[in-house]
Amino acid sequence: MAGIEIAKVVKAYGSVPVIHGIDLSVRDGEFVVLVGPSGCGKSTLLRMIAGLESVTDGTIRIGDRVVNDLPPRDRDIAMVFQDYALYPHRTVAENVGFGLRMRGVDAATIARKVNEAAEILQITHLLDRKPGQLSGGQRQRVAMGRAIVRDPKVFLFDEPLSNLDAQLRAEMRVEIKKLHQRFGTTIIYVTHDQVEAMTLADRIAILKAGHVEQFATPDEVYRQPRSTFVARFIGSPSMNIVPARISPDAATIALAGGAALAAPASFARARGRDVLLGLRAEHLGLAGPEGVPARTVIVEPLGSDTLALMQIGGVEMTGRFPPSAPLRAGGEVTLGLDLEKAHLFDPETGLAIA
Amino acid sequence: MSDAIRHRLTPLEKSERRLGFAMLAPAFLLLAAVVLYPIAELIRNSFHFNHLAQPWMGTPFVGFENYVKALGDDRFHEAVWHTLLYILVTVPGAVVIGLGLALLANQPFRVKWPVRLGLLLPWALPLVFAGLIFRWFFEYNQGIANAMLRGLGFEPLNWLTSPGLAFFAICLAIIWKSSSFVALVLLAGLQTIPKSFYEAAEVDGATKWQQFREITLPMLRPAIFVALIFRTITAIQTFDIPYAMTNGGPGNSTETLAMYIHKTTIDFLDLGYGSALAVLMFLVSAVITSLYLRHTRRDPGRH
Repeated sequence: MAGIEIAKVVKAYGSVPVIHGIDLSVRDGEFVVLVGPSGCGKSTLLRMIAGLESVTDGTIRIGDRVVNDLPPRDRDIAMVFQDYALYPHRTVAENVGFGLRMRGVDAATIARKVNEAAEILQITHLLDRKPGQLSGGQRQRVAMGRAIVRDPKVFLFDEPLSNLDAQLRAEMRVEIKKLHQRFGTTIIYVTHDQVEAMTLADRIAILKAGHVEQFATPDEVYRQPRSTFVARFIGSPSMNIVPARISPDAATIALAGGAALAAPASFARARGRDVLLGLRAEHLGLAGPEGVPARTVIVEPLGSDTLALMQIGGVEMTGRFPPSAPLRAGGEVTLGLDLEKAHLFDPETGLAIA
Repeated sequence: MSDAIRHRLTPLEKSERRLGFAMLAPAFLLLAAVVLYPIAELIRNSFHFNHLAQPWMGTPFVGFENYVKALGDDRFHEAVWHTLLYILVTVPGAVVIGLGLALLANQPFRVKWPVRLGLLLPWALPLVFAGLIFRWFFEYNQGIANAMLRGLGFEPLNWLTSPGLAFFAICLAIIWKSSSFVALVLLAGLQTIPKSFYEAAEVDGATKWQQFREITLPMLRPAIFVALIFRTITAIQTFDIPYAMTNGGPGNSTETLAMYIHKTTIDFLDLGYGSALAVLMFLVSAVITSLYLRHTRRDPGRH
């Protein structure tokens, strides 16, 4: 077991930098998820930790060892790949025991450890099969077996669930979380799916264009996003972010296209400024006559609740309503906006106004 | 009743079928003219006496006489033996060298085209050219082989005029010429192996040699089989390179089956006997190929 220290890490391909000086400190036993859109550098960072990509500048420490120049096999890590990387000509048992066999572990020990791992992952009945005969979820389990059998200091996961359908993905998410609770080994997990990030992580690192936008607990990135990028990326549906202007006396906030609302006291921090107002769907609600008039554009019933796109003056916002809410497309309603819970961002930098 | 429905073609289906046959016809006729007819003629000839130098004998039917003659023909036996030796040496030789070349070409070179060109060039070269090039290499007075020997202080060798050395030189030329084809087939195979297989092995602690043995070789098995089959079939027909380098000499010590057939029919004008030999060669190819195919069908790597 070991923590990971990433300090001022830079990666460049030729003269093209893709990672611009990342600092991340992962505690021993922590489950950290690297999340971000395609091309943000999350996989590259993971591969640098694994040793599959060289480090252009900065240092990566696993435990108390600088591993920059260590080959992958000497880093005491295990990695689960997106395509599982199972060898089609080998049985499940041989795939799981591969790492041990390569390291010259004796056959009896390999058999014992493979059986232990298989039991944990409930794949004992599959041990004699070839990967080609397994379903996607079973292959995923085998790939994890191959990782846990080595009992490494750190597990690395590179988008392990992205080849599975939605239901299996939810199932395997639970499985991975159980594994972490059981072994308590440090995990670094890469995904582009914010739901996976929120449900699995102790802390989430949100990456954007080669730097860390925010590194915090799921709760914190949801409640206190550092920027509009994080605010939009985390949470489903995405946070509503609309241009607005706070009056010089900070008494009202005017949304683009008209509607003026009473501003809560906390908005005094941005008095007289143009801002981006961020409001999550659950902070819109149907209100009495004191609310803002709005027109329902689209209604999306989800069963447990209903999403509806609302036109408020010149802006559109998505709200989350109880399924019983009397909404129909084109209908006029009065909305209450819970501005106490709203976020203010600088329109120039996109950063939260504290 | 369902049969009746199944067998009755609608006018549209009938016209589609007619169009299909019409479009196949030219290719089929061409094939019949240049492949099927000559083969039939070859087989017919092999059962007749047909010697162009003895036209007064006519072309009487002689049954299996030509085949019986082959059984007792020492030169035929030797030619078969030489062909077998070429197969045994040059097929594994080309596969081993070709595998090496394929692995080399699969490395992440910054500029890929010189590597690919270097691989393709021997393959694109006509066989007779390759034979001539190697004949010059091993030529006694000006050849590069003897020049190197002299440079190292050794006596020059009679490369193409002593039986053992001539066989060696021809094998070298054949391997050089054919390993590039093998390399192309294996390179295509190599490129189907996902990169993550090697990365996972790297993380799991496998050395490069272990990765080669555990991933590359087993994953390449189907491609290696394809290369072996193709290489063997062409090796059975070995003709151009020994023809250009030694013309079967010294004596007939490097003569292959294909060369003996060529001599029998073209030089000695004995069409009947030559046809019988050609049919025998065809049978040998068919037997060897079917053995390979049976082996691939048993391949436990696939299911």
